[in-house]
Amino acid sequence: MRNQSFTKHYYIMLLPGFIWLLLISIIPMFGIVIAFQDFNPGKGFFQSEWVGLDNFEYMFALNDTPVIFFNTVFIAVMKMIGNLIVPLIFAIMLNELRMMIVKRWIQTIVYLPHFLSWVILSGILLDVFSYTGPINTVMTFIGLDPILFFARADLFPFIIVASDVWKEFGFNTIIYLAALTSINPSLYEAAAIDGAARLRRMWHVTLPGLRTTIVLLAVLSLGNVLNAGFDQIFNLYNPLVYSTGDIIDTWVYREGLLNMQYGLATAVGLLKSVVSFILIIVSYQLASRFANYRIF
Amino acid sequence: MAKRFMLVSLVFILLLSACSGGGNNTENATRHTDNGNSSTNVSGEKEATEDESKEQADPFGKYAETITLNYGKEVDPTDKSLPEGDTPENNQYSRYIKEVLNIDTKVTWQAASGTNYDQKVNLAISSNDLPDALIVKDSQLRAMVKAGQLADLTEAFEKYASPSVKKFMEKTNGVSQKSVTFDGKMYAIPSIQVQSDGVHQMWIRKDWLDKLGLEAPKTIEDLEKVARAFVEQDPDDNGKDDTIGIAGQQNGGRLYANFLESTNNTYGLDPIFGAYQSYPGFWLKNESGEAVYGSILPETKEALAKLRDMYANGLIDRELGIRKSASETVTDGKAGIFFGPWWMGYGPLPDAIKNNPEANWQAYLLPLDADGEFNAHMGAPSTLFVVVRKGYEHPEAVIKMLNLLVRDESTFDISVPIGHYPLRVPMSYTDESEYSAQALREVLAGTKTAADFTDPGYKLLAADIANIKKVKKEPYDNLDIEYWDPKADEGTWKRAYSLLVGSSSLTQDYNKIYSVLYSQTKTMESRWTNLKKLEDETFLKIIMGAAPIDDFDKFVEDWKRQGGDIITKEVQEHVK
Repeated sequence: MRNQSFTKHYYIMLLPGFIWLLLISIIPMFGIVIAFQDFNPGKGFFQSEWVGLDNFEYMFALNDTPVIFFNTVFIAVMKMIGNLIVPLIFAIMLNELRMMIVKRWIQTIVYLPHFLSWVILSGILLDVFSYTGPINTVMTFIGLDPILFFARADLFPFIIVASDVWKEFGFNTIIYLAALTSINPSLYEAAAIDGAARLRRMWHVTLPGLRTTIVLLAVLSLGNVLNAGFDQIFNLYNPLVYSTGDIIDTWVYREGLLNMQYGLATAVGLLKSVVSFILIIVSYQLASRFANYRIF
Repeated sequence: MAKRFMLVSLVFILLLSACSGGGNNTENATRHTDNGNSSTNVSGEKEATEDESKEQADPFGKYAETITLNYGKEVDPTDKSLPEGDTPENNQYSRYIKEVLNIDTKVTWQAASGTNYDQKVNLAISSNDLPDALIVKDSQLRAMVKAGQLADLTEAFEKYASPSVKKFMEKTNGVSQKSVTFDGKMYAIPSIQVQSDGVHQMWIRKDWLDKLGLEAPKTIEDLEKVARAFVEQDPDDNGKDDTIGIAGQQNGGRLYANFLESTNNTYGLDPIFGAYQSYPGFWLKNESGEAVYGSILPETKEALAKLRDMYANGLIDRELGIRKSASETVTDGKAGIFFGPWWMGYGPLPDAIKNNPEANWQAYLLPLDADGEFNAHMGAPSTLFVVVRKGYEHPEAVIKMLNLLVRDESTFDISVPIGHYPLRVPMSYTDESEYSAQALREVLAGTKTAADFTDPGYKLLAADIANIKKVKKEPYDNLDIEYWDPKADEGTWKRAYSLLVGSSSLTQDYNKIYSVLYSQTKTMESRWTNLKKLEDETFLKIIMGAAPIDDFDKFVEDWKRQGGDIITKEVQEHVK
């Protein structure tokens, strides 16, 4: 066990994170009282009229509510799966690459999009997928009819998921690559001596070595099951794709900010947080049972 | 052990931020509400009364000591007209106000025009963190009155508004006054807009028509023919199949103006609906005199069916409702027809002509309906409102600024757009653009002179008449682009072209259809967003072929069931 004076540094390093959390996430939580009020900004939290569960009743009466919850979960789950598997495969492939320079270059290039905001990327995507954009030009060239991608409600969730995975997979790859370096090389040597070929070694050494990381990432991402990515969808959607692309956050934005229905919008946001919280607890239980991963 | 605790803490942070992330968007927005304006309120009001008793009520009175006015500003991000060193906060207009009235205008925050600005205002309202004055929309005005955030301007307006401003108000028959009066108190200074802002006409490339030997289309059938020719016969002669018949609305834009945003819907399809006597988004009176919603009437279905047909035939921009910027198609010389109000000479046409000096855009009150009439839905006279925060010491300052704007607008150099005037809302006689266009024609024809037009209420007319010959070349009665000289004085050209080309047609007779209501009723506050979403989605899908035309009937049913019926009753009550 290490001495106390040494670990103190770590607590100091944690402090900014805790302060950030307190200011950005804990204190604003008191705003959830708005969900039970007919909120009047002139009067504030304390004097606004209390309306009990009216906002929730109205929310469940709306035809939109099931649709936006379904869209949110659908897109978010697809993103979670994509963001778990694609980087994993890519990291393993990169790991097998023997030329260090090439590896480094690929690693750097694929994680560049992570640093661009959706405001910029959405402009690029809209152009790339536009009627006269490169994708449609290629499609016409090989004899297919051009498609108005962003007018197709059936394609929209998949464009969202694919572009999100494309943007983020490079970054997630780095996490896996870091985990890969911690696998003891002697395991590979032992496997090689036992006559395991490359694929066998991947299956029996690499993947089990990554198991904890995979489970950890999956558990952490489960908390996001109702976060389908506001920035991205808000910058890409239009009324034609509301039926499959309108998510809780965009709806709350329109209702709360544009239409100034604070109570209703907060009620929906609160419900979302409650569901997320339950999901996190459940996923933690699952993780501890199946992957023997425990935090507490 | 310690290491384990570190890990626990770290993961705990991650978890917490993950689960609280969801609520953030709304909760952040609605924080900081109770940061107590109360103390400043009391002292502020006291000062204000003292000031008023000392100072005489002069509409143009200069403050003895410089006062500061903080406001939120809407900025057009594409505007590059400000001279080196000037800023949206400090420019010729703000300096003029400082000099004449001794008001130091400061920009608290700025936002890009359109949705960004609206959103910023909404945030300011919900967080109760308001600058001293703002320009807001009807729904925002109502929310602010309800929240008790606004200063009562009744007395200040009575005392300080200049005779011209009061006269403009009177000319709307009390409509403008009513839109800012709540419980007998006046809470805002309304814009008083020219009625032509709400009339959408057909702008068409006359040079393309001439090249293809066509006439301006009179009926919907003609319109289809012309649009087809524009699409298929390569009117821009570049050998590529890249022209668009009718330009369409951009992502987030309105397909048609509605009763809440009833004016200035450039690139909408309003006149095509009008040709079917359909007025979606407007509250109309049926034969028995009851209020009905235009979007659910059979005429609208008919118009949608035609639009669907035209879209399927490639006559309307394929990227309708998806395009990032609709003006591109006009400025790049790709589109041959678009619909918009009279002031297109201010934009997008200047850019279109910079790119192609021969782009001869002309405006017509077309297409006509089956009876040969042009039907235009008309806007509300007041759609923008200047409001003052409760507790601001000098509520009359904004009134003085508007007085000054009305008095001196004609002397300003408008190569810097007038939008840079702090807290500027349009104020004029409602017929200003038609009247001015007519006057200019008569002056150009030599039948009248500047001396014949003496009403100072037409505040820009004297300057218009003095400058018109700088930019209009002979023959004066030919309005084609080759007989204009935009480079001689771009500011003058923008206005003169808008008036002569854009407003001349408005002197003809046409059917004016007014909405019976231009603001929200009680139930709309909670239901309208969803009904609007239903409408936007259904109509766009029908036009673009993503849903069958008969979805319209389902839309009508859903609309009624999801609150439309209740709202219709409220509107009927309101109109009675």
